[in-house]
Amino acid sequence: MTAARPVQQTEPQPTTGARLVVESLERLGVEVVFGYPGGAIMPVYDALTSARFKHILVRHEQAAAFAADAYARVTGKPGVCLATSGPGATNLITGIANAMMDSVPLVAITGNVSSALMGTDAFQEIDILGATLPMVKHSWIIRDPADIPSIFKQAFHIAASGRPGPVLIDLPKDVQVGAAVASSPFPPDPPGTAQRIDPAQVRRAESAIGAAQRPLLYIGGGVRIAGAVEDVRAFAHKTRIPAVSTLQGLGVLPVDWPTNLGMIGMHGLRAANDAVQACDLLIVLGARFDDRATGRLASFAPNARVVHIDIDAAEIGKLRHADAAITGDVRIVLPQLNPRMPSIDPWIKQCAASKAETAFRYDAPGDGVYAPALLNELSKQAGDAFVAACDVGQHQMWAAQHCEFSSPHAHITSGGLGAMGFGVPAGIGAKLAQPNAHVVTITGDGSFIMNIQELATLRRYKIPLKIVLLDNASLGLVRQWQELFFDRNYSEINLSDNPDFAAVAQAFGIEAFRISKREEVGAGIARLLAAKGPCLAHVLIDAKENVWPLVPPGKSNSEMMHGDSQ
Amino acid sequence: MKDAFLIQIDHAEGSLQRLVGLIERRGFYIADMSVSDAGAFREVHIAVRERDAGRCIHALGRQIDKLIGIRRVATNASAVDHQGVSVCPA
Repeated sequence: MTAARPVQQTEPQPTTGARLVVESLERLGVEVVFGYPGGAIMPVYDALTSARFKHILVRHEQAAAFAADAYARVTGKPGVCLATSGPGATNLITGIANAMMDSVPLVAITGNVSSALMGTDAFQEIDILGATLPMVKHSWIIRDPADIPSIFKQAFHIAASGRPGPVLIDLPKDVQVGAAVASSPFPPDPPGTAQRIDPAQVRRAESAIGAAQRPLLYIGGGVRIAGAVEDVRAFAHKTRIPAVSTLQGLGVLPVDWPTNLGMIGMHGLRAANDAVQACDLLIVLGARFDDRATGRLASFAPNARVVHIDIDAAEIGKLRHADAAITGDVRIVLPQLNPRMPSIDPWIKQCAASKAETAFRYDAPGDGVYAPALLNELSKQAGDAFVAACDVGQHQMWAAQHCEFSSPHAHITSGGLGAMGFGVPAGIGAKLAQPNAHVVTITGDGSFIMNIQELATLRRYKIPLKIVLLDNASLGLVRQWQELFFDRNYSEINLSDNPDFAAVAQAFGIEAFRISKREEVGAGIARLLAAKGPCLAHVLIDAKENVWPLVPPGKSNSEMMHGDSQ
Repeated sequence: MKDAFLIQIDHAEGSLQRLVGLIERRGFYIADMSVSDAGAFREVHIAVRERDAGRCIHALGRQIDKLIGIRRVATNASAVDHQGVSVCPA
């Protein structure tokens, strides 16, 4: 045995706060940062030139937050965005709110004016910590550069743990330029705390399931976040309990899963909404009774007892009483749930018959492009590699209804916030996170133009994102509501003076073409997916097309309007 | 009806603003409030009233409890049930 030689300790050398920021991001395994420089963040940008991670220069800070959000949704790791003080920071706010509403781990880093100037209304000073308090899990103003490593470590942990969400770190300029030795070595990972699942509540849930005649799984976005897709599929297979999904739960069960009834809610499928209204037990998996899913809450699932499983104790009982309440990760809870299943064959047959009877049809009359059929065809041609980054509007609801998602990771959508302009930057983030996937931004003419400048980002980094732009020359969802609920008093929805979007894309150096006839759809999608670089398909659709079915706002899900859908 | 919370909270910058903002944003009126320095943390006594009938004091307790830097939440309403069974929603 040889004697151990003493390890030579080298004293850590002082470095700048900006350098500590870059080193911290490197040590946390960050591979991509989306950002935009400006005066109060210049020391960090100075240090970035030697960083081991990639920086993507977007053309608007909002796009940095959206791209980082989508990157996080695809990878499961925190996305990082970086901006200067004042307008740079406020431009991040919509993206931070989007991440909060959809429980996405996002780390937003902002520069600020020097500490001595904070509170003096200095140039480009804004209280970004105060402004973002309602939409972050936590936030910090770093006052001492020595604290940078430990706060960054804590920030990444808080963003990604439990119910994920955004965090914000504000860096006054003097902290970025100040010299410091990190106050402590880079902190180790915090010890994992084993979740204690209440066995009494598990037994209550089993008992409720055992007594049910018409049980229904209600699958939310928490299943994807928990990495519980296989657990839910195993449970659904074992118990044969029919299932419905929220917008964020789509893809957990494949479309052709026999007992999968699809999306519930305002633009949900009739079979799904009818099943919720008829069920006697709702088993809620990582969902929060969002009003777009429930319609009028007082009449939602009126005959059902509720088993609610969620990592966030504050969601349980918030809007609907839970007869069995299990606080915990769905991936950990579900394998512990072993109910003695009653015979539910009549219920399964009822749901299957309803699904068959109310299935969507794609034989709409006419020779114009029928957007639902195009989106269905798009997902089929792209196959299992398909990832849709959706914008917000009619196209978003058509994508949710008609694309066949094989995984919840294949559907990236701004659900809680409903932020127009999300689609293109989200597509950038998703494509960088998953380069081998067929990432397609599905957008509309209203949404696309909100972050159209990001075509320059696509061009600069040669990101082969594909874009399907469904152009009805109007704000279609607003127009639809004005038609149905405001006596056709059309107000400020006409976008018929849109630019020639294909020409605009080409001016940015992006390949683009137009589809205006139904017969062009199949070949057009094939061309789009085969393009080597970024490519835009500008699709002209009927301005009067509506999204069906529809639950009128404030009404019960039992009061669906069907229009021409069935 | 007023309900009272006793909350122990870290000294971190913005923590009081975060707490007060949450309570108001979630639909409660702050009727009374006092803050005292308890050494390693601050102790906050807050009396709140629901702004409308749809608000649940237990849900508010759980929302406060999950803020980072909250050490303890106690209320004079029947105990906040951390297993999540709430009597508030219909």
